[in-house]
Amino acid sequence: MISRSLDDHLPSSSTAPHPLQRNLAPHLHPFQKPREYTRAMTAVKIDRMFAKPFVDALGGHQDGVYCLGKDPRRVAVVAGGGGDGEVIVHSLALRRPLLKIPNAHKGMVGGICWTSEAKDGKRGMITAGKLDGTIKIWRSKLFAPGLKDDESFIGNEFASGNRLESMDNLDNAGAIGENGFDLNENEDDGDEEVGGGLTMDFKKRDRLGENLEPTMTYTSKNGFNGIDHHRQDNIFSTASNTVQIWDENRSNPLSTLQFGNSLETVTKVKFNQSETSVLASVGNDRTMCLYDIRTGKAERRIVMQFLSNDLSWCPTLPTTMLLASEDHNLYTFDIRNLNSPSQIYKGHVGGVMGCDWSPTGEEFVSGSYDRTIRLWNRESGKSRDVYHTKRMQRVFDVTYTPTADFVLSASDDGNVRIWKSNASKKLGPVSTKERQSIEHRQKLIERYSAEKGVRSVKERRHVPQSIHNATKLKREMIESRKVKEDRRRDHSRKGRDKPKAERKKTVIVEQK
Amino acid sequence: MDALLASAGPLPTKRPKGNNSNSNNNNNFKSNYSKGQRQRPTSHQTITRGDGSNIDASLNSILSNTRIPSSFHHSNLASGSGSTGSAKIRPDSSTNKIVDKKLRSKLSRVDINNKQAKLEREDVNEWLNKAVQGTKGDIEVDEELGEKTWRIKQNDIVENVAVNSSKKKFDLKMNDMGTYKVDYTKNGRHLAIASSKGHIATFDWQAGKLHSEIHLKESVRDIKFLHSEDYFAVAQKKYVFIYDKDGVELHKLKQHIDPTHMEFLPYHYLLTTVGHAGYLKYHDTSTGVMLTQIPTHLGSPHSMAQNSHSAIIHLGHSNGTMTLWSPNMTTPHVKLLAHRGPVNGIAVDPSESSAGRYVATSGMDGVVKIWDGRMWGKELRSWHVRNQITSLNYSGMGMLSVGGKSGITVYRDLTSTTNSNPKNQFTPTPYLTLPLPSLTASSIKFCPFEDILAVGHEKGISSLLVPGSGEPNFDSNEADVFETYSRRRERDVRNVMDKIKPELITLNTDFLGHVNESRGGETHEERNSRSFRQLGRLERLRINGKSDEQQAELEDDEEEEQEDGEQIQGGKKEKVKRKMKGKGGSTSRYLRKKQKKNIVDNTLLAMKAKVAAQKQSEDTRRKIASGEIVKEVGALARFG
Repeated sequence: MISRSLDDHLPSSSTAPHPLQRNLAPHLHPFQKPREYTRAMTAVKIDRMFAKPFVDALGGHQDGVYCLGKDPRRVAVVAGGGGDGEVIVHSLALRRPLLKIPNAHKGMVGGICWTSEAKDGKRGMITAGKLDGTIKIWRSKLFAPGLKDDESFIGNEFASGNRLESMDNLDNAGAIGENGFDLNENEDDGDEEVGGGLTMDFKKRDRLGENLEPTMTYTSKNGFNGIDHHRQDNIFSTASNTVQIWDENRSNPLSTLQFGNSLETVTKVKFNQSETSVLASVGNDRTMCLYDIRTGKAERRIVMQFLSNDLSWCPTLPTTMLLASEDHNLYTFDIRNLNSPSQIYKGHVGGVMGCDWSPTGEEFVSGSYDRTIRLWNRESGKSRDVYHTKRMQRVFDVTYTPTADFVLSASDDGNVRIWKSNASKKLGPVSTKERQSIEHRQKLIERYSAEKGVRSVKERRHVPQSIHNATKLKREMIESRKVKEDRRRDHSRKGRDKPKAERKKTVIVEQK
Repeated sequence: MDALLASAGPLPTKRPKGNNSNSNNNNNFKSNYSKGQRQRPTSHQTITRGDGSNIDASLNSILSNTRIPSSFHHSNLASGSGSTGSAKIRPDSSTNKIVDKKLRSKLSRVDINNKQAKLEREDVNEWLNKAVQGTKGDIEVDEELGEKTWRIKQNDIVENVAVNSSKKKFDLKMNDMGTYKVDYTKNGRHLAIASSKGHIATFDWQAGKLHSEIHLKESVRDIKFLHSEDYFAVAQKKYVFIYDKDGVELHKLKQHIDPTHMEFLPYHYLLTTVGHAGYLKYHDTSTGVMLTQIPTHLGSPHSMAQNSHSAIIHLGHSNGTMTLWSPNMTTPHVKLLAHRGPVNGIAVDPSESSAGRYVATSGMDGVVKIWDGRMWGKELRSWHVRNQITSLNYSGMGMLSVGGKSGITVYRDLTSTTNSNPKNQFTPTPYLTLPLPSLTASSIKFCPFEDILAVGHEKGISSLLVPGSGEPNFDSNEADVFETYSRRRERDVRNVMDKIKPELITLNTDFLGHVNESRGGETHEERNSRSFRQLGRLERLRINGKSDEQQAELEDDEEEEQEDGEQIQGGKKEKVKRKMKGKGGSTSRYLRKKQKKNIVDNTLLAMKAKVAAQKQSEDTRRKIASGEIVKEVGALARFG
């Protein structure tokens, strides 16, 4: 006979937890699958309900923003280069411009990058003009707000400096977030700013920006379309009609790299993050070219069906490279095998203008001429998410922040927008219990994501009408083209023309 | 947990450190215990008492958490301490066939996890849920001396069980109230009774606390608890009414006219009723919306039961058929001619060995039949019962009670493997007989997680003891026998959130999450007008011979090679040609054609020479392979 003692089954005191008895036998847990499925449905719906990716728009530009300069060593600072030659350094934490340089260049800004030096007080920003053919290095304390004495902080933000007092300055050096401001560049009148340094004298800031002079200027006959800094050394590369390597301290290029005698316009150039002397460029002749600055030569080049607008090296997989192509697709290449891309990423309905890897190298972001941003997993050819706003125009550059939490986009409408890289992620502290339940929900979604109900909720994205229509049209066009090809094949001699894999079509020729 | 571990047997005595310890050391070690002074015993050690008997300090411990203890974890690491010391868990060999590296590793990881979870679950069940000693807790008698379990009377049982248990046998005598129906909540804690003349009561039968008592003064045909004891539905003369715990009428369900039987599907929140008109109606009690009503076209049903593992409703009809229903189909899933007379009792076995697979039916023809839900063709066994059967019920451990005129008979092990022999043809020996002199058991229900059978009859209800009938180990996350107010509130919310959609009620419970193997398109036209590229993935794999099922069908490698060689287009399944080796080659075909024309020209001669040379080289190769001739390997080998 079953006889249960109350002592075993009632809590020992009023505050004690209720004692639980478990029996894992499946017959006591009927409908296990449907119940779990129901939970997965709820989880995926919650996930979509909380998907609010847009964080903020950083304004201030008079013209469209055409390039972004992410400081790889600091989290919350990004520079945007406008179409009228204005460069604005934005603080992401404050969501305000730290510095505006109204006439950094005459005409469009071609590219922005940051120097690699660890000395935060002398942080330098390098901008390249697309039309005026100059490169300028700017140094200002405003890039590292909160740092009060001029020569105290030596060392980067992750390691302390070599002086004792620099330890004290680590907190207010604006390393991670900007929490202090001092715009009094010359005279120190000792007034504490109201609001803990968060208030900002905009006029003073603007005056400073207007009067700021570049510490270094390089001139060239040709305009610069792109610029990228070496990971550690004081050299950077520019893209004009050739690829040039510059030293920060010399006025003439160290070397000029060119593939054969080609006279194509190089649009973007990027250094590899791990194999730091390797760099790659994309050019107007639908080419992608690899260089090595140790040999000072162009190593190899591929010519593709369409021109690529941007490229990005994977930070964790040294051989993997991402190309943003004008044919609406993105391609990853393994540079050991340039015959065919290792993956094609389809989804945009306009030329892809910019792309950037997340710091983990598992995901990347792309911005397109179709006014959307898409986020991708490296392993799947379909985009994980798509972001758009009514006011966002053509996107010209995108970048991941170094913490991988946010994605930034620069668009035609003169705004730099901050988006969450995971649309439904909660910002702010998450308790253990909450994190556990979030993880549980993610696992459930993952397990049932092949099921139709869950999948349809998970993958459904609302896109603007124009993009919806364009997608539909594009799909129809491709479909009909393929059907036509199939029919032609059906009615031609057997084995005459075999279907060609999509990946084999993209690269026309590989040159060595 | 600790208590059970301890009672399962002593652990092998630990040796002190050092490999060269001998028996002397061991004795010293033991003697420390017997003195019992030097070392304070921990809760997990067995202490020897002065009189020599062992007591275990952990015997009185309380289960503190629900996590599987770490000792149960099967570590897959080489250095890990697997509890059984069994071999390393390996993924299924079929995963080796997957070419994609990542997919393979992912699937094999999933497979290993599943296997590990299964092992752990088995372990936990073995350690936690097995009876400490003896069998499943049912009555054991000495068969050789001619003792029979069915001769044992209720009074004998009451005298021999503990006081706690004997209290659970009680009778509620209600005269002139009509016949009674009974129903338990899912955790077996609360009981609802309803007489045919309108007397209704719900109470916590263990605490003896009455929740509500109403005299409706109209005929009542059935009573059912909804998801908790807070609400119950009553099938009254005209409609179904819902009352709360205090007996306040909450709802009148006007759509349910003339109800005779009710069932409640707790995971779907569906109240299912059927009335004299033979309409099966599903009503969602969480939203209050009538889901569907299905005409059975078989008149007023005589019995109704639900399969608690698949939520399929079983109806027994007057023409002897049993039908299986879900809200998703307007026709029955299964229609079965079960008896030669009205089917007046249906019960589905919820026990571990059956999990909703076995169904018992009884008819007016006085026969009880056991059916297997996997194959409805023929009953597993059937036998005649002398008294007129009125109702059937299965217990949590799979005992079947057959209630009828003047008593109830309880059977056990009706479908166990020992019974799957010609003996099945015979009437099974009853486990217990519970006579009710001059009474008819109109409704019988086993109490979940208790060894109790509640019987409703003309003179009230009786709660009888049936040892070994109830599932002893409940799971507090499913149905907590000792549920507190706060936990019930928590469960109410969670269960509503986990409410299963009625579309997921299927006959095959494993249906969800499987690959949809539709052939693509409704009609033949649709399926065949699409090009190869437009086909679904599975279809393309099937055509390429790369789907798993196809591979099983392939008979030999030759055919596979042949298929690979051919380029397949057009979506049509390529017919496998059975060629004889060497006959269908293009060369020999060419030769045959030429020779038919009987024209000998240079090309033919050249071709013949070529064929002959091929044949010869093939010959020599075969001979070398078989060792008939030895291949020349010296310097002269090049000269042939």
